[in-house]
Amino acid sequence: MSNNPFPLPKEKLLEAYTKMKTIREFEERLHIEFAKGDIPGFVHLYAGEEASGTGIMMHLEDKDRIASTHRGHGHCIAKGVEVEGMMAEIYGKATGSCRGKGGSMHIADLSKGMMGANGILGAGAPLICGAGLAAKFRGDGGVGITFFGDGASNQGTVLESMNLAAIWNLPVIFVVENNGYAESTSIDYALAVDSYIDRAAGFGIPGVTVDGTDFFAVYEAAGEIIKRAREGGGPAFLECKMVRFFGHFEGDAQTYRAKGENEENRANKDCLKIFRSKVTKAGVISDADLNKIDDQVLARIEASVQKAKRDPLPTQKDLLTDVYVRY
Amino acid sequence: MARNLSMKDAINEAIDLEMTRDPSVILMGEDIAGGSGGQGEMDAWGGPLGVTKGLWGKHKERVMDTPLSESAFIGAAIGAAACGMRPIAELMFLDFMGVCFDQIFNQAAKFKYMFGGKAETPVVIRGMVGAGFRAAAQHSQMLTPLFTHIPGLKVICPSNAYDAKGLLIQSIRDNDPVIFCEHKNLYASMADVPAEAYTIPFGEAAIPREGKSATIVAYGLMVHRALEAAETLAKEKIDVEVVDLRSLSPIDMDTVIESVEKTGRLVAVDEANPRCSIAADVIASATEHAFKALKAAPIAITAPHTPVPFSAALEDLYIPSAARIADAVRKQVK
Amino acid sequence: MGPLVGIVANPVSASDIRRVVANASTLQITDRANIILRVLSALRACGVQDVLMMPEKSGIRRHITRAYERAANLKEDIFPQIHHVRQDITTTVQDTLKATAAMREAGCKVIIVLGGDGTHRAVVSQCGSIPIAGISTGTNNAFPKHREPTITGLAVGLAAMGRVSDTIAFEGNKRLDIKIGDRADDIAIVDVAVVTERFVGAKAIWKPKNFRELFVTFSDPEVIGMSAIAGLLEPVSRREPHGLMVGLTPPHEARMRLNVPFAPGIIGAIGIGEVKHMQPGVPVRLEFPAGTIALDGERELAFDQSDDVTITLVKDAFRTVNVSGIMNYASKQGLMKVN
Repeated sequence: MSNNPFPLPKEKLLEAYTKMKTIREFEERLHIEFAKGDIPGFVHLYAGEEASGTGIMMHLEDKDRIASTHRGHGHCIAKGVEVEGMMAEIYGKATGSCRGKGGSMHIADLSKGMMGANGILGAGAPLICGAGLAAKFRGDGGVGITFFGDGASNQGTVLESMNLAAIWNLPVIFVVENNGYAESTSIDYALAVDSYIDRAAGFGIPGVTVDGTDFFAVYEAAGEIIKRAREGGGPAFLECKMVRFFGHFEGDAQTYRAKGENEENRANKDCLKIFRSKVTKAGVISDADLNKIDDQVLARIEASVQKAKRDPLPTQKDLLTDVYVRY
Repeated sequence: MARNLSMKDAINEAIDLEMTRDPSVILMGEDIAGGSGGQGEMDAWGGPLGVTKGLWGKHKERVMDTPLSESAFIGAAIGAAACGMRPIAELMFLDFMGVCFDQIFNQAAKFKYMFGGKAETPVVIRGMVGAGFRAAAQHSQMLTPLFTHIPGLKVICPSNAYDAKGLLIQSIRDNDPVIFCEHKNLYASMADVPAEAYTIPFGEAAIPREGKSATIVAYGLMVHRALEAAETLAKEKIDVEVVDLRSLSPIDMDTVIESVEKTGRLVAVDEANPRCSIAADVIASATEHAFKALKAAPIAITAPHTPVPFSAALEDLYIPSAARIADAVRKQVK
Repeated sequence: MGPLVGIVANPVSASDIRRVVANASTLQITDRANIILRVLSALRACGVQDVLMMPEKSGIRRHITRAYERAANLKEDIFPQIHHVRQDITTTVQDTLKATAAMREAGCKVIIVLGGDGTHRAVVSQCGSIPIAGISTGTNNAFPKHREPTITGLAVGLAAMGRVSDTIAFEGNKRLDIKIGDRADDIAIVDVAVVTERFVGAKAIWKPKNFRELFVTFSDPEVIGMSAIAGLLEPVSRREPHGLMVGLTPPHEARMRLNVPFAPGIIGAIGIGEVKHMQPGVPVRLEFPAGTIALDGERELAFDQSDDVTITLVKDAFRTVNVSGIMNYASKQGLMKVN
């Protein structure tokens, strides 16, 4: 018997950790760079939520589509979008994933099945129904996953899409990343039905709640749901309960939080610490292995920031291109 | 072989031909087959006015009735387009755009640009526009200026069955999102339509009547009002040229300017409300580029700045008439 | 203050993967709140004036508050006064543990529990000698019996008001104690299952090829879950002193295979090995080298070769309210007669 108790082989565990760590360091670095005033516009950070995106995305292939949110950096990285292009995009450079035309809220890479971060809350749900429909017509076993927060869960688009996915039996998974806050407003105020399982059940969709700070809980539940969706088992709803380390956007003073909440989250609900503790205790991966990844990730983020700063800005000719395929 | 066909049948034929040719073309909308899930007939309606009648019988699961959830199904059509399908989504009345406009103007229209050119969204959103059906304020609007305003969308509004077929096939084959506006009062209008598939390129206006002394620019139903006015004016020896824009985005201003340079007079007719209308746009552009040719101030003939009224007595006043158009030309030539 | 009754209602039970893999039920928050309201009016009808509840912020409290407001507006005096345990809300099992401990300290006569086997297990770990009355709202519900909650409320009310003697009102129950060397100590109230999955993950167990060992406090062919396996082999009542141990093997390796409803909606072939009685007070050492221990249906404890795992059956470990006994006594003695 192997001494690995986890449902993924060691190299996959390392891959998952690398992704989560990359997301974390990407966001921690943006937090610093934003405060320096080097980054234009709005930036919403995913730090603290890494286990959700990664636990789900570890099951996906390029043919599977995701529709992300305004808090999309983590989804992008987990789905395989290149960090260097993302960083350049956030700096508004011509070398960015979207040539500087999208920015933080609109990073996309359709070749990787990443249908875009989205500045409109809940807008990804209808789109992913379309992705599910396309996969169903093609019969390629692809699935579509739409992410939204507890805030956007109250958008009509999400509710309409749950109904549509149910009646068309689409291979679509609705993932609410419940970090407890719709921008500054607590879920305890904004959700009338109180339980996402109840809400999903109202559409005839099975719902599951998992601890979104535990990579393995997300990974296992998502695996079962995704496998079923691929085989025609229809839509499902997954609630990942999690914490957001930073504010809604950078510059948010977060005075709506309880005293000590952020410190408590960092200390006890850090999905990276939890992952590290599990895999090292089981003796599958050593601290040294993980530290090595940490160093590599830090170096990569550092290089991506330096490159982004050096890269050229888009020019006037870029303003007018890419509006239409042909006009 | 050309047959005399209604615009409604020409649209149905265009969809049928493209669905037959290309398996990635799918059709979705509320009641486009009708009868789904009921005890009675399937394909009971074929759309509220029967435009898509019979397509379900030929294409079965590629013709999908949707729940009354415009955001969800228009969004799904857009999402499917971004994933390689060529969906045609029928919004029934384009007035309903209000409930799903985000998916159209913030999603479909912007994917390509926002994503740095890496996305294509070949979706067609078609539906009815226009007044004259006594359908009142929420089922009669000409919202073409709204759509035309949005970069990333293409906006088409045919005036006859022949153009409708060729422009719709072009819309389906086109790789950008297209808003295809069908004037409900033109569905019954007849024209000679070839049986085979053909396309009409976007951004090419037609000149259904040539003339030398004034240019009337119109689109959709207003083309017929313009032609009626031209007929009247011809009896008064005023020789009017009529330009049918056909496509509003892209718009063929070259043809308009060429015509204005020839006639020196411009009346722009629009069934939309006046502010920021297609008529206003055409006049602004022609004034800027053909100012020296103008012999009189251009005139816009549009609906008033009011919602569409219900009562026939009021609605008939609301819609620009041939008489108002003719008066405008007379004022210019005087 | 008269006798105090505690209520622990878990708002997050019935939300695991079994809704996806097995069409397990959901119980809406509003339904949970309505169950509590029915229990509350039953308690009040028996004379209970004060109830101590676990606080939560998943909606139950809000719905109950609204119902109390409506009752007040309608001038209906049908509910006891609700007090809430003062504690932070974590939306985890910690809430249940802390609230139960607080109810014990506050001297509750009975604690009413809404949840599945997992919630009951959590309450039992903290309630000491305070009797509990279970109402089934979870996925796996071998422990709480299905019954209209109003009746449970009446029985609890009669017992709490001292209208029924303790010997009739309460009964003793068995428990399984699990020890993993010095590092873990836990309990189960229905079953301990050893599975080959070696991580806790999504917690629920639903893959029979991974089942290896089973220990049950009682076994009943009429219930759902792992104890149903034992129930279909040899029923053992909740009152008998012994429990049961069942060796499980992958179905294709087994001499005997049994079709068992081991989770709601999942009936599958389970490979059966040896079946033995388990005597109270005698620790059983686990032979299986590495896996996870599922307590009352949920993976909780991972272990490996280096661990010394023992399981011990304990009798009279905690008390439950004998609803059937109380209501039959009430009938015989005319306890519900109105003067």
